[in-house]
Amino acid sequence: MFLYDLKKEQACRIEQLPTIPLLNSLGLREGMNVSIKSHQPLGGPIVIQIGRRSVAVAKDIAEEISVEKIEKNIS
Amino acid sequence: MDCHGVEEEKIEVGRDELKILLMGNPNVGKSVFFSKLTGREVMSSNYSGTTVSYTHGKMQYSDKQATLIDVPGTYSLKATSPAEEVAVDFLQDGEVDVVVCVLDATNLERNLNFALQVKEFGLPVVFALNLIDVAQNQGVSIDVDRLEEELERPVIPTVAIRNVGMKELLEEVWKASADQTQFNEQVSVTEDERWQAVGRIVEEVQEVEHRHPTFLEKLGDLAVKPVTGIPIACLVLLIALVIVVGGGKGLRAVFFLPFVDNIVVPFFRSIVSIFITEGLLFNVLVGEYGALVKGIEWPFALVLPYVFLFYIVLSFLEDSGYLPRVAVLLDSTLRKLGIQGGNIVPLIMGYGCAIPAILGTRANTSPKERLVTSSLVVLAVPCSAQAGAFVALLGDHSILALVLVYLISLAGLLLAGVILNKVIPGKSDPMLLEIPHLLLPDREALFKKIWLRTKSFMIEAEMPILLGVGFAALLVEAGLLESINSYLAPLTTGWLGLPTEATMGLMLGIIRRELAVLPLLELDLSTLQIVVGSVVALFYIPCISALGVLIKEFGVKIAITIGFVTTFIAIFAGGLINQVVSFIGILL
Repeated sequence: MFLYDLKKEQACRIEQLPTIPLLNSLGLREGMNVSIKSHQPLGGPIVIQIGRRSVAVAKDIAEEISVEKIEKNIS
Repeated sequence: MDCHGVEEEKIEVGRDELKILLMGNPNVGKSVFFSKLTGREVMSSNYSGTTVSYTHGKMQYSDKQATLIDVPGTYSLKATSPAEEVAVDFLQDGEVDVVVCVLDATNLERNLNFALQVKEFGLPVVFALNLIDVAQNQGVSIDVDRLEEELERPVIPTVAIRNVGMKELLEEVWKASADQTQFNEQVSVTEDERWQAVGRIVEEVQEVEHRHPTFLEKLGDLAVKPVTGIPIACLVLLIALVIVVGGGKGLRAVFFLPFVDNIVVPFFRSIVSIFITEGLLFNVLVGEYGALVKGIEWPFALVLPYVFLFYIVLSFLEDSGYLPRVAVLLDSTLRKLGIQGGNIVPLIMGYGCAIPAILGTRANTSPKERLVTSSLVVLAVPCSAQAGAFVALLGDHSILALVLVYLISLAGLLLAGVILNKVIPGKSDPMLLEIPHLLLPDREALFKKIWLRTKSFMIEAEMPILLGVGFAALLVEAGLLESINSYLAPLTTGWLGLPTEATMGLMLGIIRRELAVLPLLELDLSTLQIVVGSVVALFYIPCISALGVLIKEFGVKIAITIGFVTTFIAIFAGGLINQVVSFIGILL
């Protein structure tokens, strides 16, 4: 399952992500819990929430981040 | 950073002066610290990457002097991007006395990761825990004493924008500089170890109380959802237009025009009359089209109201943190132009002035995106001064014509973008952008920014306009304009369908973009001619200062190419409209 495939409001735990230094710096790391805030149409980015921060992630990158669904409100 | 270059002059640190670095993640408010500490005015905004190159300034504390260097914000110190290389170079140059590292209290985890990286360089560091007020409002409380113990360096809670904690910070900086001996060991830690340390510290010092989302938080979330975000964006655009166009017309009619025409211009005229009597010089200075008449009326009465109002709107949007949300909404559209959504920020800045917009593209990591965005700005984005001229010319004639010219500009932008995307090699980076919290901008910071930008317009526009208009008046008086007009007649009258006097705009337009439009005001033109003239002015050669910045950023070859291509497009598009409409006119 990949981050880009998740529905809105769905929470997940990051299992594996591509090696882009900025990803780590923005707080996306293995084992982190994130949830989906919005999906832009036409191949646009998704906005995810990490802690109390929001980050926009391009489709190309979000399709390479593998995740595992979790229940919401486990943070 | 408006309408003038970014300082990159060599930093000279006096022998007994301290060298202090100001560092931190992007968008933690470093630039605010810089202007508070040095008294130098720099721009800050609520999104990452406002400071695209380093700036430095002097600061003083009791009898001691120091040079403070504002290092561009980076997320890490791995030297993987140009900004990070600059930061690492500074840390390693061996002359740094103290590092002031600004941390964002609302985002402790990521900022601590940076803090630990800075610490690993073994330099004396003082941490400023900024935005502590915003954190508290969000229900985040941080145990500063514990944090200090963990970091083994002083931590000062601050609200830089309101001067809270700045004095304490300075004191600690000076203490740290006197205490050089302690730290000089560089440590190397792996990425994982560092994150583990961060996790442990956060656990210990931070407590988060769950709160219901505030109105601004809800609004911020709605603004990135397509269903609600697009209507919100349209509403913001509409309000912006009402303020700038409507407000500008009002301000102009009620205040600026009467003030300049009835007080300022007669004042200059009476002064000049004391020294000079009728004649060539008199006419060049204060004749009907004299430098001290049109050269003051145009920039101050016609253009300034729009520039001023535009900067109010732009500054508010920048500080609110709304713009990155527009970037998200427009990413898939801009991608077709070969640029990612984040470039909407320089594009919007271009509606103020092309120069900060071009410099702003430095935040891009992909060279292709830099070139595409900069080209689009100088081609199809009218700057606020030109917009003021458009409203003066078109708005009073027909508001539809004004709308039409802006639609043509938008169409030109999209078309040019699609073509540039095909022509320019390279690729754009996928979007990875932090969305800041929506904030109500701080009033004082906002006023300062608006004033800074308006002031720089007044200073930097006035001289070229005075000289340009004076030169034009001289040409007229010397009778040279006639021959230039007839020489260019095939172009102006034949192809563009404008009166021969329109050459004036084409000549002056090289100096500044609004000067390509304003001379048309003095001619008696039909609606078609006004639209054609405006379209030519819109796509015409970028102003001299913008060309200068293009040369600096991309080299002479690219800058000259852009100059030629934009001029060609301008003449071609203007003529095409004239020919097609005239042709249809004949048919009807």
